[in-house]
Amino acid sequence: MLALLPRLRRFAIGLSRNPVDGDDLCQMTIERALSRRESYEPGTRLDSWMYRIMRNLWIDERRASRRRSQTFVSEEAGAFIGAAGAQDAAAELGDVDRAMASLPDDQRVAVLLVMVEGYTYREAAEIVGCPVGTLNSRLVRGRDALLARLGETV
Amino acid sequence: MKVTREELAAFSDGELDFERHVEVERAVAADPDLERAVAAHRALRARLSTHFAPILDEPVPERLRTLLQHKSSVIDFDKQRQSRSTTRFNAPRWGWIAGPALAASLILALLIPREIGSESYASGQVAAALDGQLVATQPADAPVRVMLSFRDRAGAYCRAYSGADQAGIACKDAHGWRMIEHFEDATAERGEYRQAGSGQAQLMMRAQDMASGSALNGGQELQARSKGWKPHS
Repeated sequence: MLALLPRLRRFAIGLSRNPVDGDDLCQMTIERALSRRESYEPGTRLDSWMYRIMRNLWIDERRASRRRSQTFVSEEAGAFIGAAGAQDAAAELGDVDRAMASLPDDQRVAVLLVMVEGYTYREAAEIVGCPVGTLNSRLVRGRDALLARLGETV
Repeated sequence: MKVTREELAAFSDGELDFERHVEVERAVAADPDLERAVAAHRALRARLSTHFAPILDEPVPERLRTLLQHKSSVIDFDKQRQSRSTTRFNAPRWGWIAGPALAASLILALLIPREIGSESYASGQVAAALDGQLVATQPADAPVRVMLSFRDRAGAYCRAYSGADQAGIACKDAHGWRMIEHFEDATAERGEYRQAGSGQAQLMMRAQDMASGSALNGGQELQARSKGWKPHS
């Protein structure tokens, strides 16, 4: 597991968009993995199992924070505030980070797993828990959006 | 021939089956627009991976490492008995006793501690090894090897053992060898996650914490075995 840490951090920072939140996500992932290690099936890939835990934790956290914002403001206003916050944060980031931040969660996950972490479509689909075709189409939409933002000639 | 956007991306990633790959390749070669699109996909992939690559070289924050070092561990085993001069085992006090059983190995296994109930007992090969094998005389290729024996503070005999995919410490009571610590191999693909072993030292440290006095020597082990590892008989 120690050898996996740098890669887990990369995925976590890619998801969270900054090192501080990324390392928090990493910590939660390790704790969850250790507390549920009996659910790991020997003979299967440890890295995929950890990525799946991390991806699920992050999706849960994103949903929870959306619910929190909806508790106080209308959905529309919440979305607006979320977008404004994201833009402020994004102003600090480079082009790639900004473009990644603009992607919907599912597309961001697909892009990171395949294009950064180097998983095959099938492996990435297993981590996400969706059909390969779904993964493929999320990936394509994510890619097209990134190409549009970063320019065709990246 | 029509090439969908999905197919074009999959082609760029080398994800199409062979037949389709050849077809798309031909279409791309014949169409400058498609060719540009493929180049853009590949450039994007290169840009993203370059962008995130430096994270791999950053030091992992201490708090993350510590989390793992306390709770999981890596133990390496000897596949073949090797000379002591190559021993990598370096737990300070008991190394000389456990050394032969832990001689440097080429096979490294990532072992994760298992939750064990308070009433888990060793069975099968492990129980047989704990009952019968002596550290000094056990065969080098025994499936489970005993690393050392000691008495805990209550006087019970305890033994640390390791096998190809498990390791642990068990103590003898009226019912059998009760497992105190148990690690199992969680390495999916060994080649990919080879690591230097620190877990054996961890197991030894745990044994040292539990023990009263030092590890048993050969004569003491022999005597304990002849009494069925019962403390007072």
